[in-house]
Amino acid sequence: MMEALSFEFFRNALLAGLLASVICGVIGSLVVVNRIVFLAGGVAHASYGGVGLAFYLGLPVLPVTAGFSTLAALCMAWVTLTSRERADTVIGVLWAAGMALGIILLDLTPGYNADLMSYLFGSILAVPVEDLWLMAALAAVVLVLVALFARGLLVMSFDTDFARSRGVPVRFLHFLLMGLTALCVVMVIRVVGLILVLALLTIPPFMAERRCRSLAGMMLLSAALSALFCVGGLWLSYSLDLTSGASIIAVACVGFGLSLCLPQRRSQEKAAGRA
Amino acid sequence: MSTPAIEISDLWFAYGGTRVLEGVNLTLPAGEFLAVLGPNGGGKSTLLRLLLGLVTPGGGGVRVLGSPPGEAGGRIGYLPQFTQVSASFPITVLEAVRLGLIRPGLLGLGGFVGRAQRRREHEAALNALARVGLADHAQRRLSDLSGGQRQRVFIARAIVSGPELLLLDEPTASVDGRSRQELMALLAELNTEMTIVMVSHDMSTVDGCVTSIACVNRGLHFHADSRLTPDIFAEATGADPKVGCPVELFAHGKVPHRVVHAHDDPHCCGGRHASGFEGDPKGPKAGGGQGA
Repeated sequence: MMEALSFEFFRNALLAGLLASVICGVIGSLVVVNRIVFLAGGVAHASYGGVGLAFYLGLPVLPVTAGFSTLAALCMAWVTLTSRERADTVIGVLWAAGMALGIILLDLTPGYNADLMSYLFGSILAVPVEDLWLMAALAAVVLVLVALFARGLLVMSFDTDFARSRGVPVRFLHFLLMGLTALCVVMVIRVVGLILVLALLTIPPFMAERRCRSLAGMMLLSAALSALFCVGGLWLSYSLDLTSGASIIAVACVGFGLSLCLPQRRSQEKAAGRA
Repeated sequence: MSTPAIEISDLWFAYGGTRVLEGVNLTLPAGEFLAVLGPNGGGKSTLLRLLLGLVTPGGGGVRVLGSPPGEAGGRIGYLPQFTQVSASFPITVLEAVRLGLIRPGLLGLGGFVGRAQRRREHEAALNALARVGLADHAQRRLSDLSGGQRQRVFIARAIVSGPELLLLDEPTASVDGRSRQELMALLAELNTEMTIVMVSHDMSTVDGCVTSIACVNRGLHFHADSRLTPDIFAEATGADPKVGCPVELFAHGKVPHRVVHAHDDPHCCGGRHASGFEGDPKGPKAGGGQGA
Protein backbone atom coordinates (compact mmCIF):
# COMPACT_ATOMS: atom_id res chain seq x y z
CA MET A 1 0.00 0.00 0.00
CA MET A 2 2.83 2.38 0.94
CA GLU A 3 4.61 1.91 -2.37
CA ALA A 4 1.29 2.37 -4.13
CA LEU A 5 0.98 5.78 -2.53
CA SER A 6 4.02 6.96 -4.46
CA PHE A 7 2.01 6.77 -7.68
CA GLU A 8 -0.01 9.84 -8.47
CA PHE A 9 -2.86 7.83 -9.96
CA PHE A 10 -3.19 5.90 -6.72
CA ARG A 11 -3.20 9.02 -4.58
CA ASN A 12 -5.86 10.48 -6.85
CA ALA A 13 -7.86 7.30 -6.55
CA LEU A 14 -7.75 7.46 -2.76
CA LEU A 15 -8.81 11.09 -2.77
CA ALA A 16 -11.65 10.36 -5.16
CA GLY A 17 -12.76 7.47 -2.97
CA LEU A 18 -12.72 9.60 0.17
CA LEU A 19 -14.63 12.46 -1.49
CA ALA A 20 -17.22 10.03 -2.76
CA SER A 21 -17.47 8.48 0.70
CA VAL A 22 -18.33 11.76 2.36
CA ILE A 23 -21.10 12.43 -0.14
CA CYS A 24 -22.37 8.86 -0.12
CA GLY A 25 -22.60 8.96 3.66
CA VAL A 26 -24.69 12.12 3.62
CA ILE A 27 -26.91 11.48 0.61
CA GLY A 28 -27.08 7.72 1.08
CA SER A 29 -28.45 8.23 4.59
CA LEU A 30 -31.15 10.54 3.26
CA VAL A 31 -31.96 8.11 0.44
CA VAL A 32 -32.30 5.20 2.85
CA VAL A 33 -34.45 6.92 5.47
CA ASN A 34 -36.68 8.45 2.80
CA ARG A 35 -37.09 5.04 1.16
CA ILE A 36 -36.16 6.30 -2.29
CA VAL A 37 -33.51 3.69 -3.08
CA PHE A 38 -35.40 2.71 -6.22
CA LEU A 39 -35.49 6.35 -7.33
CA ALA A 40 -31.75 6.65 -6.71
CA GLY A 41 -31.23 3.55 -8.82
CA GLY A 42 -33.31 5.09 -11.57
CA VAL A 43 -31.23 8.26 -11.51
CA ALA A 44 -27.97 6.29 -11.53
CA HIS A 45 -28.91 4.27 -14.59
CA ALA A 46 -30.60 7.08 -16.48
CA SER A 47 -27.41 9.10 -16.06
CA TYR A 48 -25.86 6.86 -18.71
CA GLY A 49 -27.83 8.92 -21.17
CA GLY A 50 -25.70 11.87 -20.04
CA VAL A 51 -22.50 9.93 -20.69
CA GLY A 52 -23.69 9.11 -24.21
CA LEU A 53 -24.72 12.69 -24.82
CA ALA A 54 -21.33 13.99 -23.71
CA PHE A 55 -19.50 11.67 -26.12
CA TYR A 56 -21.90 12.38 -28.96
CA LEU A 57 -21.47 16.13 -28.59
CA GLY A 58 -17.77 15.85 -27.81
CA LEU A 59 -18.13 17.68 -24.50
CA PRO A 60 -16.52 16.94 -21.10
CA VAL A 61 -18.26 13.95 -19.55
CA LEU A 62 -18.69 14.90 -15.90
CA PRO A 63 -20.47 18.29 -16.31
CA VAL A 64 -22.78 17.00 -19.05
CA THR A 65 -23.65 13.90 -17.05
CA ALA A 66 -24.28 16.04 -13.96
CA GLY A 67 -26.71 18.23 -15.90
CA PHE A 68 -28.42 15.30 -17.57
CA SER A 69 -28.88 13.29 -14.36
CA THR A 70 -30.17 16.29 -12.46
CA LEU A 71 -32.77 16.76 -15.16
CA ALA A 72 -33.68 13.08 -15.05
CA ALA A 73 -33.89 13.21 -11.25
CA LEU A 74 -36.21 16.21 -11.30
CA CYS A 75 -38.43 14.44 -13.85
CA MET A 76 -38.62 11.45 -11.53
CA ALA A 77 -39.33 13.66 -8.52
CA TRP A 78 -42.17 15.24 -10.48
CA VAL A 79 -43.55 11.84 -11.45
CA THR A 80 -43.54 10.58 -7.86
CA LEU A 81 -45.38 13.67 -6.69
CA THR A 82 -48.05 13.69 -9.39
CA SER A 83 -48.84 10.09 -10.26
CA ARG A 84 -48.15 8.38 -6.97
CA GLU A 85 -50.10 5.32 -8.02
CA ARG A 86 -47.87 4.13 -10.84
CA ALA A 87 -44.77 6.13 -10.02
CA ASP A 88 -42.57 3.06 -9.69
CA THR A 89 -43.50 1.90 -13.18
CA VAL A 90 -42.72 5.29 -14.73
CA ILE A 91 -39.39 5.39 -12.86
CA GLY A 92 -38.63 1.97 -14.32
CA VAL A 93 -39.32 3.29 -17.81
CA LEU A 94 -37.11 6.37 -17.30
CA TRP A 95 -34.42 4.10 -15.85
CA ALA A 96 -34.30 2.01 -19.03
CA ALA A 97 -34.86 4.95 -21.38
CA GLY A 98 -31.81 6.78 -20.05
CA MET A 99 -29.59 3.77 -20.50
CA ALA A 100 -30.90 3.05 -24.00
CA LEU A 101 -30.38 6.67 -25.01
CA GLY A 102 -26.81 6.51 -23.77
CA ILE A 103 -26.02 3.37 -25.73
CA ILE A 104 -27.64 4.65 -28.93
CA LEU A 105 -25.82 7.95 -28.73
CA LEU A 106 -22.53 6.11 -28.24
CA ASP A 107 -23.37 3.98 -31.31
CA LEU A 108 -23.91 7.14 -33.30
CA THR A 109 -20.67 8.74 -32.14
CA PRO A 110 -18.14 8.51 -34.98
CA GLY A 111 -14.78 7.02 -34.09
CA TYR A 112 -15.98 6.21 -30.63
CA ASN A 113 -13.56 4.08 -28.69
CA ALA A 114 -13.85 5.19 -25.06
CA ASP A 115 -13.98 2.50 -22.48
CA LEU A 116 -17.66 1.84 -21.99
CA MET A 117 -17.06 -0.38 -19.04
CA SER A 118 -15.33 2.36 -17.12
CA TYR A 119 -18.62 4.21 -16.72
CA LEU A 120 -20.57 1.13 -15.89
CA PHE A 121 -18.13 -0.24 -13.35
CA GLY A 122 -16.02 2.75 -12.40
CA SER A 123 -12.52 3.86 -13.28
CA ILE A 124 -11.23 5.20 -10.03
CA LEU A 125 -7.61 4.42 -10.96
CA ALA A 126 -7.89 6.76 -13.93
CA VAL A 127 -9.27 9.87 -12.24
CA PRO A 128 -7.46 12.94 -13.56
CA VAL A 129 -6.73 15.88 -11.25
CA GLU A 130 -9.32 18.09 -13.01
CA ASP A 131 -12.03 15.58 -12.17
CA LEU A 132 -10.92 15.58 -8.55
CA TRP A 133 -11.47 19.34 -8.43
CA LEU A 134 -14.86 18.97 -10.03
CA MET A 135 -15.77 16.26 -7.53
CA ALA A 136 -14.63 18.45 -4.65
CA ALA A 137 -16.76 21.33 -5.95
CA LEU A 138 -19.81 19.07 -6.29
CA ALA A 139 -19.19 17.71 -2.80
CA ALA A 140 -19.05 21.23 -1.42
CA VAL A 141 -22.31 22.19 -3.15
CA VAL A 142 -24.06 19.09 -1.83
CA LEU A 143 -22.79 19.56 1.73
CA VAL A 144 -23.71 23.25 1.84
CA LEU A 145 -27.21 22.57 0.54
CA VAL A 146 -27.79 19.74 3.01
CA ALA A 147 -26.55 21.88 5.91
CA LEU A 148 -28.68 24.79 4.77
CA PHE A 149 -31.86 22.73 4.73
CA ALA A 150 -30.90 20.24 7.43
CA ARG A 151 -33.90 20.73 9.66
CA GLY A 152 -36.41 20.59 6.86
CA LEU A 153 -34.81 17.44 5.44
CA LEU A 154 -34.92 15.84 8.89
CA VAL A 155 -38.59 16.70 9.45
CA MET A 156 -39.56 15.48 5.98
CA SER A 157 -37.57 12.24 6.31
CA PHE A 158 -39.03 11.49 9.72
CA ASP A 159 -42.69 12.11 8.97
CA THR A 160 -43.81 13.60 5.68
CA ASP A 161 -47.47 14.07 6.62
CA PHE A 162 -46.58 15.84 9.84
CA ALA A 163 -44.10 18.07 8.00
CA ARG A 164 -46.74 18.99 5.44
CA SER A 165 -49.28 19.75 8.15
CA ARG A 166 -46.83 22.23 9.66
CA GLY A 167 -46.43 24.11 6.39
CA VAL A 168 -42.96 22.71 5.64
CA PRO A 169 -42.43 22.92 1.85
CA VAL A 170 -42.13 19.18 1.39
CA ARG A 171 -42.50 19.41 -2.38
CA PHE A 172 -39.46 21.67 -2.65
CA LEU A 173 -37.44 19.44 -0.31
CA HIS A 174 -38.33 16.36 -2.36
CA PHE A 175 -37.03 18.03 -5.54
CA LEU A 176 -33.95 19.19 -3.65
CA LEU A 177 -33.20 15.70 -2.36
CA MET A 178 -33.59 14.20 -5.83
CA GLY A 179 -31.30 16.84 -7.31
CA LEU A 180 -28.68 16.18 -4.64
CA THR A 181 -28.98 12.45 -5.28
CA ALA A 182 -28.25 13.06 -8.95
CA LEU A 183 -25.10 15.06 -8.16
CA CYS A 184 -24.01 12.38 -5.74
CA VAL A 185 -24.54 9.65 -8.30
CA VAL A 186 -22.46 11.51 -10.88
CA MET A 187 -19.59 11.78 -8.41
CA VAL A 188 -19.73 8.15 -7.45
CA ILE A 189 -19.89 6.94 -11.07
CA ARG A 190 -16.17 7.76 -11.26
CA VAL A 191 -15.48 5.57 -8.25
CA VAL A 192 -17.58 2.44 -8.63
CA GLY A 193 -19.55 3.02 -11.82
CA LEU A 194 -23.24 3.58 -12.28
CA ILE A 195 -24.27 -0.04 -11.87
CA LEU A 196 -22.60 -0.33 -8.47
CA VAL A 197 -23.53 3.14 -7.19
CA LEU A 198 -26.54 1.74 -5.35
CA ALA A 199 -24.38 -0.49 -3.17
CA LEU A 200 -22.26 2.38 -1.93
CA LEU A 201 -25.38 4.51 -1.38
CA THR A 202 -27.27 1.90 0.61
CA ILE A 203 -24.88 -0.49 2.37
CA PRO A 204 -23.08 1.97 4.69
CA PRO A 205 -26.27 3.83 5.73
CA PHE A 206 -28.05 0.54 6.33
CA MET A 207 -25.23 -0.59 8.62
CA ALA A 208 -25.10 2.79 10.36
CA GLU A 209 -28.83 3.35 10.86
CA ARG A 210 -29.42 0.96 13.73
CA ARG A 211 -26.29 2.03 15.55
CA CYS A 212 -26.91 5.79 15.59
CA ARG A 213 -29.06 8.09 17.64
CA SER A 214 -29.40 10.88 15.10
CA LEU A 215 -29.53 11.37 11.35
CA ALA A 216 -26.30 13.40 11.49
CA GLY A 217 -24.60 10.58 13.36
CA MET A 218 -25.86 8.14 10.76
CA MET A 219 -24.36 10.31 8.01
CA LEU A 220 -20.99 10.47 9.78
CA LEU A 221 -20.80 6.76 10.46
CA SER A 222 -21.90 5.93 6.90
CA ALA A 223 -19.21 8.21 5.52
CA ALA A 224 -16.59 6.56 7.73
CA LEU A 225 -17.72 3.06 6.71
CA SER A 226 -17.79 4.12 3.09
CA ALA A 227 -14.22 5.44 3.36
CA LEU A 228 -13.16 2.18 4.96
CA PHE A 229 -14.69 0.19 2.10
CA CYS A 230 -13.08 2.43 -0.52
CA VAL A 231 -9.60 2.19 0.98
CA GLY A 232 -9.97 -1.54 1.61
CA GLY A 233 -11.29 -2.10 -1.90
CA LEU A 234 -8.50 -0.11 -3.48
CA TRP A 235 -5.91 -2.06 -1.54
CA LEU A 236 -7.53 -5.32 -2.61
CA SER A 237 -7.68 -4.17 -6.20
CA TYR A 238 -4.04 -3.08 -6.16
CA SER A 239 -2.63 -6.17 -4.52
CA LEU A 240 -4.67 -8.76 -6.42
CA ASP A 241 -4.99 -6.81 -9.67
CA LEU A 242 -8.80 -6.76 -9.64
CA THR A 243 -11.30 -4.24 -11.01
CA SER A 244 -11.32 -1.42 -8.48
CA GLY A 245 -15.06 -0.60 -8.42
CA ALA A 246 -16.04 -4.22 -7.99
CA SER A 247 -13.40 -4.69 -5.29
CA ILE A 248 -14.80 -1.77 -3.31
CA ILE A 249 -18.31 -3.18 -3.51
CA ALA A 250 -17.03 -6.66 -2.60
CA VAL A 251 -15.44 -5.26 0.55
CA ALA A 252 -18.66 -3.37 1.33
CA CYS A 253 -20.73 -6.53 0.89
CA VAL A 254 -18.43 -8.46 3.22
CA GLY A 255 -18.80 -5.64 5.75
CA PHE A 256 -22.57 -5.81 5.29
CA GLY A 257 -22.53 -9.55 5.94
CA LEU A 258 -20.38 -9.13 9.03
CA SER A 259 -22.68 -6.42 10.40
CA LEU A 260 -25.62 -8.80 10.09
CA CYS A 261 -23.74 -11.34 12.19
CA LEU A 262 -22.92 -8.80 14.90
CA PRO A 263 -25.49 -8.45 17.70
CA GLN A 264 -28.28 -6.24 16.40
CA ARG A 265 -28.17 -3.46 18.95
CA ARG A 266 -26.50 -2.56 22.14
CA SER A 267 -28.46 0.66 22.39
CA GLN A 268 -31.15 -1.03 24.46
CA GLU A 269 -28.82 -1.55 27.42
CA LYS A 270 -27.03 1.71 26.77
CA ALA A 271 -30.27 3.66 26.80
CA ALA A 272 -31.49 1.84 29.89
CA GLY A 273 -28.23 2.75 31.58
CA ARG A 274 -28.74 6.41 30.74
CA ALA A 275 -32.34 6.61 31.83
CA MET B 1 -68.31 34.46 21.61
CA SER B 2 -64.91 33.15 20.57
CA THR B 3 -64.10 31.90 17.07
CA PRO B 4 -65.24 28.33 16.50
CA ALA B 5 -62.37 25.85 16.27
CA ILE B 6 -63.70 24.53 12.99
CA GLU B 7 -66.20 25.91 10.50
CA ILE B 8 -67.10 23.88 7.46
CA SER B 9 -69.81 24.85 5.00
CA ASP B 10 -71.12 22.91 1.99
CA LEU B 11 -67.83 21.11 1.63
CA TRP B 12 -67.28 18.42 -0.95
CA PHE B 13 -64.26 16.47 -2.07
CA ALA B 14 -63.72 13.94 -4.85
CA TYR B 15 -60.98 11.46 -5.67
CA GLY B 16 -61.04 11.13 -9.43
CA GLY B 17 -64.75 11.18 -10.29
CA THR B 18 -66.13 9.78 -7.03
CA ARG B 19 -67.23 12.12 -4.31
CA VAL B 20 -66.02 10.83 -0.98
CA LEU B 21 -67.44 13.80 0.92
CA GLU B 22 -70.53 15.79 0.05
CA GLY B 23 -72.65 18.48 1.66
CA VAL B 24 -70.54 18.60 4.80
CA ASN B 25 -71.44 21.28 7.32
CA LEU B 26 -69.92 21.58 10.76
CA THR B 27 -69.40 24.28 13.35
CA LEU B 28 -67.32 23.04 16.22
CA PRO B 29 -67.06 25.41 19.21
CA ALA B 30 -63.70 25.71 20.95
CA GLY B 31 -63.13 23.34 23.85
CA GLU B 32 -64.99 20.36 22.38
CA PHE B 33 -63.69 16.81 22.17
CA LEU B 34 -65.11 15.54 18.91
CA ALA B 35 -64.94 11.91 17.91
CA VAL B 36 -65.20 11.42 14.15
CA LEU B 37 -66.60 7.98 13.52
CA GLY B 38 -67.50 6.21 10.33
CA PRO B 39 -66.88 3.12 8.26
CA ASN B 40 -63.58 2.64 6.43
CA GLY B 41 -63.57 4.60 3.21
CA GLY B 42 -66.33 6.84 4.56
CA GLY B 43 -64.13 9.94 4.32
CA LYS B 44 -62.96 10.38 7.93
CA SER B 45 -59.27 10.66 7.14
CA THR B 46 -59.99 12.79 4.08
CA LEU B 47 -61.87 15.20 6.32
CA LEU B 48 -58.85 15.42 8.60
CA ARG B 49 -56.53 15.98 5.64
CA LEU B 50 -58.83 18.76 4.44
CA LEU B 51 -58.66 20.41 7.86
CA LEU B 52 -54.86 20.21 7.77
CA GLY B 53 -54.68 21.64 4.27
CA LEU B 54 -52.96 18.49 2.96
CA VAL B 55 -55.63 18.27 0.25
CA THR B 56 -57.77 21.05 -1.18
CA PRO B 57 -61.55 20.76 -1.23
CA GLY B 58 -63.49 20.43 -4.46
CA GLY B 59 -65.76 23.17 -3.21
CA GLY B 60 -67.19 24.78 -0.12
CA GLY B 61 -65.56 26.60 2.76
CA VAL B 62 -63.25 25.43 5.49
CA ARG B 63 -61.86 27.56 8.29
CA VAL B 64 -59.70 26.21 11.07
CA LEU B 65 -59.19 28.48 14.09
CA GLY B 66 -60.47 31.28 11.90
CA SER B 67 -57.82 30.75 9.19
CA PRO B 68 -57.84 28.82 5.92
CA PRO B 69 -56.55 25.26 6.38
CA GLY B 70 -52.78 24.88 6.40
CA GLU B 71 -52.20 28.43 7.59
CA ALA B 72 -52.62 28.01 11.31
CA GLY B 73 -49.17 26.34 11.61
CA GLY B 74 -48.16 25.53 15.18
CA ARG B 75 -51.63 26.43 16.50
CA ILE B 76 -52.72 23.01 15.28
CA GLY B 77 -51.19 19.86 16.71
CA TYR B 78 -51.40 16.79 14.49
CA LEU B 79 -50.98 13.12 15.24
CA PRO B 80 -50.71 11.20 11.96
CA GLN B 81 -51.60 7.55 11.66
CA PHE B 82 -49.27 5.29 13.54
CA THR B 83 -47.83 3.52 10.53
CA GLN B 84 -46.36 6.66 8.96
CA VAL B 85 -43.03 6.61 10.77
CA SER B 86 -40.34 4.03 10.15
CA ALA B 87 -39.51 2.09 13.30
CA SER B 88 -35.76 2.14 12.76
CA PHE B 89 -35.32 5.88 12.18
CA PRO B 90 -32.25 7.07 14.11
CA ILE B 91 -33.62 9.72 16.43
CA THR B 92 -33.93 10.26 20.16
CA VAL B 93 -37.26 10.84 21.85
CA LEU B 94 -36.33 14.42 22.70
CA GLU B 95 -35.31 15.29 19.13
CA ALA B 96 -38.48 13.75 17.73
CA VAL B 97 -40.57 15.98 19.98
CA ARG B 98 -38.45 19.02 19.10
CA LEU B 99 -39.40 18.58 15.45
CA GLY B 100 -42.89 19.74 16.45
CA LEU B 101 -41.44 23.23 16.84
CA ILE B 102 -40.46 23.62 13.18
CA ARG B 103 -41.60 26.87 11.65
CA PRO B 104 -43.55 26.86 8.40
CA GLY B 105 -42.10 27.87 5.05
CA LEU B 106 -38.54 28.11 3.79
CA LEU B 107 -37.39 29.94 6.91
CA GLY B 108 -38.03 26.90 9.06
CA LEU B 109 -35.75 24.64 7.04
CA GLY B 110 -32.41 25.97 8.24
CA GLY B 111 -30.08 23.58 9.97
CA PHE B 112 -28.42 26.23 12.11
CA VAL B 113 -30.10 26.97 15.41
CA GLY B 114 -28.66 29.42 17.92
CA ARG B 115 -27.73 28.24 21.39
CA ALA B 116 -30.45 30.22 23.15
CA GLN B 117 -33.11 28.95 20.77
CA ARG B 118 -31.80 25.41 21.10
CA ARG B 119 -32.11 25.62 24.89
CA ARG B 120 -35.65 27.01 24.63
CA GLU B 121 -36.62 24.21 22.28
CA HIS B 122 -35.10 21.56 24.53
CA GLU B 123 -37.02 22.93 27.46
CA ALA B 124 -40.30 23.01 25.56
CA ALA B 125 -39.73 19.44 24.36
CA LEU B 126 -38.95 18.24 27.87
CA ASN B 127 -42.09 19.93 29.19
CA ALA B 128 -44.21 18.27 26.53
CA LEU B 129 -42.62 14.90 27.36
CA ALA B 130 -43.33 15.45 31.05
CA ARG B 131 -46.99 16.06 30.20
CA VAL B 132 -47.28 12.69 28.51
CA GLY B 133 -45.30 11.05 31.30
CA LEU B 134 -42.16 10.25 29.34
CA ALA B 135 -39.64 12.79 30.65
CA ASP B 136 -37.41 9.93 31.86
CA HIS B 137 -37.16 8.58 28.36
CA ALA B 138 -36.01 11.80 26.66
CA GLN B 139 -32.57 10.49 25.70
CA ARG B 140 -33.63 7.05 24.56
CA ARG B 141 -33.83 6.02 20.96
CA LEU B 142 -37.40 6.30 19.75
CA SER B 143 -37.28 2.76 18.35
CA ASP B 144 -36.56 1.35 21.83
CA LEU B 145 -39.99 2.45 23.07
CA SER B 146 -43.16 0.39 23.05
CA GLY B 147 -46.01 1.17 20.67
CA GLY B 148 -48.06 2.94 23.33
CA GLN B 149 -45.07 5.00 24.48
CA ARG B 150 -44.23 5.95 20.92
CA GLN B 151 -47.78 7.13 20.40
CA ARG B 152 -47.39 9.33 23.48
CA VAL B 153 -44.14 10.75 22.06
CA PHE B 154 -46.07 11.77 18.96
CA ILE B 155 -48.72 13.39 21.11
CA ALA B 156 -45.91 15.29 22.85
CA ARG B 157 -44.67 16.39 19.42
CA ALA B 158 -48.18 17.54 18.54
CA ILE B 159 -48.59 19.61 21.72
CA VAL B 160 -45.04 20.97 22.03
CA SER B 161 -45.98 24.10 20.10
CA GLY B 162 -48.85 24.84 22.50
CA PRO B 163 -51.65 24.29 19.99
CA GLU B 164 -55.28 25.34 20.40
CA LEU B 165 -56.54 22.45 18.33
CA LEU B 166 -55.37 18.85 18.35
CA LEU B 167 -56.16 16.63 15.35
CA LEU B 168 -55.67 12.92 15.91
CA ASP B 169 -55.82 10.23 13.25
CA GLU B 170 -56.65 6.85 14.78
CA PRO B 171 -54.66 7.45 17.98
CA THR B 172 -55.62 4.14 19.54
CA ALA B 173 -55.00 1.91 16.53
CA SER B 174 -52.17 -0.58 17.12
CA VAL B 175 -51.79 0.03 20.83
CA ASP B 176 -52.89 -2.50 23.45
CA GLY B 177 -55.90 -2.17 25.73
CA ARG B 178 -54.10 -0.69 28.69
CA SER B 179 -52.15 1.86 26.67
CA ARG B 180 -55.43 2.80 25.04
CA GLN B 181 -56.99 3.64 28.38
CA GLU B 182 -53.93 5.65 29.43
CA LEU B 183 -54.00 7.45 26.12
CA MET B 184 -57.66 8.38 26.48
CA ALA B 185 -57.08 9.63 30.03
CA LEU B 186 -54.24 11.80 28.73
CA LEU B 187 -56.43 13.18 25.95
CA ALA B 188 -59.21 13.97 28.43
CA GLU B 189 -56.69 15.96 30.45
CA LEU B 190 -55.41 17.80 27.38
CA ASN B 191 -58.98 18.61 26.44
CA THR B 192 -59.16 21.02 29.40
CA GLU B 193 -56.76 23.25 27.43
CA MET B 194 -57.48 22.59 23.79
CA THR B 195 -60.10 21.48 21.33
CA ILE B 196 -59.60 17.90 20.19
CA VAL B 197 -60.80 16.20 17.02
CA MET B 198 -60.16 12.48 16.95
CA VAL B 199 -60.75 10.26 13.95
CA SER B 200 -61.38 6.71 15.03
CA HIS B 201 -63.04 3.53 13.95
CA ASP B 202 -62.64 2.20 17.45
CA MET B 203 -66.01 2.64 19.16
CA SER B 204 -64.56 1.80 22.55
CA THR B 205 -62.63 5.08 22.56
CA VAL B 206 -65.91 6.95 22.63
CA ASP B 207 -66.28 6.99 26.35
CA GLY B 208 -66.79 9.69 28.95
CA CYS B 209 -64.19 12.16 27.71
CA VAL B 210 -65.70 12.70 24.27
CA THR B 211 -68.14 15.60 24.20
CA SER B 212 -69.58 15.25 20.72
CA ILE B 213 -69.68 12.82 17.84
CA ALA B 214 -69.60 13.29 14.09
CA CYS B 215 -70.53 10.38 11.90
CA VAL B 216 -68.86 10.61 8.51
CA ASN B 217 -70.05 8.50 5.65
CA ARG B 218 -69.91 10.73 2.58
CA GLY B 219 -72.06 13.16 4.53
CA LEU B 220 -71.50 14.33 8.07
CA HIS B 221 -73.96 14.08 10.93
CA PHE B 222 -73.05 16.05 14.00
CA HIS B 223 -74.31 14.99 17.42
CA ALA B 224 -73.64 17.56 20.12
CA ASP B 225 -73.63 14.82 22.69
CA SER B 226 -71.42 11.81 23.22
CA ARG B 227 -74.30 9.38 23.74
CA LEU B 228 -74.13 6.46 21.36
CA THR B 229 -77.64 5.75 20.15
CA PRO B 230 -78.60 2.90 17.85
CA ASP B 231 -78.85 5.43 15.00
CA ILE B 232 -75.38 6.82 15.57
CA PHE B 233 -74.12 3.32 15.92
CA ALA B 234 -75.56 2.39 12.56
CA GLU B 235 -74.18 5.53 10.93
CA ALA B 236 -70.75 5.08 12.42
CA THR B 237 -70.36 1.51 11.35
CA GLY B 238 -72.18 1.86 8.07
CA ALA B 239 -74.43 -1.04 8.99
CA ASP B 240 -78.15 -1.49 8.62
CA PRO B 241 -79.70 -1.74 12.10
CA LYS B 242 -82.44 -3.96 10.70
CA VAL B 243 -79.87 -6.61 9.84
CA GLY B 244 -78.49 -6.77 13.33
CA CYS B 245 -75.60 -5.56 15.41
CA PRO B 246 -72.50 -5.12 13.26
CA VAL B 247 -70.14 -5.35 16.20
CA GLU B 248 -69.13 -8.79 17.25
CA LEU B 249 -68.15 -8.93 20.86
CA PHE B 250 -67.14 -12.18 22.39
CA ALA B 251 -65.97 -12.74 25.91
CA HIS B 252 -65.91 -15.59 28.35
CA GLY B 253 -67.63 -15.16 31.68
CA LYS B 254 -69.02 -11.68 31.99
CA VAL B 255 -71.57 -10.29 29.62
CA PRO B 256 -69.81 -7.68 27.51
CA HIS B 257 -71.19 -4.25 28.15
CA ARG B 258 -70.47 -0.69 27.23
CA VAL B 259 -71.58 2.87 26.73
CA VAL B 260 -74.19 3.80 29.22
CA HIS B 261 -74.73 7.49 29.43
CA ALA B 262 -74.57 9.34 32.73
CA HIS B 263 -77.90 9.82 34.40
CA ASP B 264 -79.30 10.62 37.81
CA ASP B 265 -81.65 7.74 38.39
CA PRO B 266 -80.71 6.41 41.83
CA HIS B 267 -82.58 3.16 41.21
CA CYS B 268 -80.26 2.21 38.44
CA CYS B 269 -76.90 0.68 39.18
CA GLY B 270 -75.33 3.92 40.28
CA GLY B 271 -74.53 6.86 38.08
CA ARG B 272 -72.22 6.87 35.16
CA HIS B 273 -70.81 3.90 33.37
CA ALA B 274 -68.44 3.86 30.52
CA SER B 275 -66.17 0.99 30.05
CA GLY B 276 -64.51 -1.21 27.53
CA PHE B 277 -65.58 -4.75 27.01
CA GLU B 278 -62.90 -6.31 29.20
CA GLY B 279 -65.60 -6.94 31.75
CA ASP B 280 -65.18 -4.69 34.76
CA PRO B 281 -66.34 -6.91 37.66
CA LYS B 282 -67.96 -3.94 39.40
CA GLY B 283 -69.71 -2.82 36.28
CA PRO B 284 -73.34 -3.42 35.41
CA LYS B 285 -74.03 -6.83 34.01
CA ALA B 286 -76.77 -5.77 31.74
CA GLY B 287 -75.65 -2.35 30.67
CA GLY B 288 -78.01 -1.96 27.79
CA GLY B 289 -75.60 -2.98 25.01
CA GLN B 290 -75.94 -0.46 22.25
CA GLY B 291 -79.31 0.86 23.18
CA ALA B 292 -78.91 2.48 26.57
